[in-house]
Amino acid sequence: MAGILETPYGTRDFLPKEAAAKRAIENRIAKLFAEFGYEEVVTPTMEFLETLTISGGVESNLFKMFDQQNRTLALHHEMTTPIARLAMSRLKDSPLPLKLSYNTSVFRFRKNQLGRQCEFYQSGVELLGASNAFADAEIIALATNALKVAGLKDFTICLGQVEFANGLMENLSAADKAEIKNAIEHHDIVGLEKIVDALNLDKNSADTLKKIPKLNGGIEILETARVLANNDKSRSAINNLEEIYKLAEIYGVADRIIFDLGIIRDFEYYTGMVFEAYAPNVGYSLAGGGRYDNMLADFGLACPATGFAVGIERILTACEKQGIFNDARAKDIYLSYSESKIDAAIKKALALREEGKIVELSLTAQNKIDAEKSKIEKGYSELIYIE
Amino acid sequence: MIDEYITIALPKGKLFGLSAELLKKVGWTAEGLHEKSRKLVITNDAAKLKFIITKTADVPTYVEYGAADIGIIGKDVIMESGKDIYELLDLGFGKCHLMMAVPKDKKRARLEDYAHTRVATKFPRLAKNFFVSRGMQMEYIKLNGSIELGPIVGLSESIVDIVETGTTLRENNLEEIVHIADSTARLIANRVSYRLKFERINNLVTELEKIL
Repeated sequence: MAGILETPYGTRDFLPKEAAAKRAIENRIAKLFAEFGYEEVVTPTMEFLETLTISGGVESNLFKMFDQQNRTLALHHEMTTPIARLAMSRLKDSPLPLKLSYNTSVFRFRKNQLGRQCEFYQSGVELLGASNAFADAEIIALATNALKVAGLKDFTICLGQVEFANGLMENLSAADKAEIKNAIEHHDIVGLEKIVDALNLDKNSADTLKKIPKLNGGIEILETARVLANNDKSRSAINNLEEIYKLAEIYGVADRIIFDLGIIRDFEYYTGMVFEAYAPNVGYSLAGGGRYDNMLADFGLACPATGFAVGIERILTACEKQGIFNDARAKDIYLSYSESKIDAAIKKALALREEGKIVELSLTAQNKIDAEKSKIEKGYSELIYIE
Repeated sequence: MIDEYITIALPKGKLFGLSAELLKKVGWTAEGLHEKSRKLVITNDAAKLKFIITKTADVPTYVEYGAADIGIIGKDVIMESGKDIYELLDLGFGKCHLMMAVPKDKKRARLEDYAHTRVATKFPRLAKNFFVSRGMQMEYIKLNGSIELGPIVGLSESIVDIVETGTTLRENNLEEIVHIADSTARLIANRVSYRLKFERINNLVTELEKIL
């Protein structure tokens, strides 16, 4: 019987305080998304395995099961793919750009996930059908504001562009590219130098490739990168970042942005700007996203797209580290009463709730001393006692 | 952002002395920084540095979670840990290699002849990666030290371990039959620290590159 009080590996409970903090953050972020004109959608928790793996979902990281026809199902591991499926099927005829948002738990069967369990919560948006820098700037403005409304004071958005590195590697074979990308993504600078040296490139190209993970800093780093850019692809990546940055300035979020041209992110499908959000003393990213123009073609129709997701548990951790507590569920009034005063008590409670107060009404009559005790135990700020 | 501290994780054991010495050469040190320090965190307030000294295998963990911003640790430990950390610089010292060894007098003709036998190792993950890549299934016996003892007392048919000079192997009548991977000490960093404290970390890398 040991199992009945346990929860499965990779899952957790949210106790009232934790659930309140989670709900508070999710509500504020949902409100923000709505204000920007993003409409919420809900998709099934499980999809067919093929749907989730078509754009790079790794089968071994998915929770799988069978339906009654023995077809393999999997729990969604992120929301970009289900939304792409939705957009390409039931929302196919909607006017573009399509702005959608979500808030749900996702599932990844992986040990060693920093700051979260196998089941964790994400809020995010997808912006489909717009390929300009303005769309990317809106996504970054939205991500920045999402972290702000969540209560975080100290955080940084780290912005990159995968086409910069892709451009610099244009003449390399697919296998070499993949190896270099992997080294850049993990900032394995030692490994990167070995791989590049083995390619026998001219010194200039080799040095440039080695520098990619070190292109890190403020807006001035784009000038350094522009000097290294040796073809249209890599140059337009830098122009794109500059354009996004200018728009971010108007949005008032540019002061949060630093650049790192070595950000590629884990997923294969990013095709343009990519970003991650960091807070000091939290060793992993709080939010991340980017442009993924090729993915929707996997579902039948080429369509540019960009978006991001924030990790709710990770934001909660970062808030805690910064001394910001979102669990301030106002416990206003504990309402108790003496024998035979139940009518008056119910009416009083209704009236107070009408005023917007949070009121817990005792379910049994109490004497005043017990009522005072209950109020303290339950953490209410005020006792109203009807006698 | 000089107002922020940088926390450096150093491993106990062989690499500690060399690491502390190297960092000292570029001015990254603290009073009382020695392996036997009873203090858990050794701070240099003037230079905004904090040092922590941990068990070897724990260095990547401290860095991955950002509890330490940077660390020094052998490539063998990095690979075995499978942690997502940034590897900034090959420091050159702590040179060793991971290999498979067997008792000289019981040596079999081919590597494949050891399939389905027992292998004692401190590096089960790396050992498994290696044997899987050769299409071999093995029985892995995780030991935490004195790996050479395994074949001597009949606990295993072979070992996968780190070797520097090979003296221990010879003393125990073991012979290296496969070279698996090379290792040296590396400077590693947390992915967030690398970006948020880029200037200081990158300066350190540049300074170290000059003297290596």
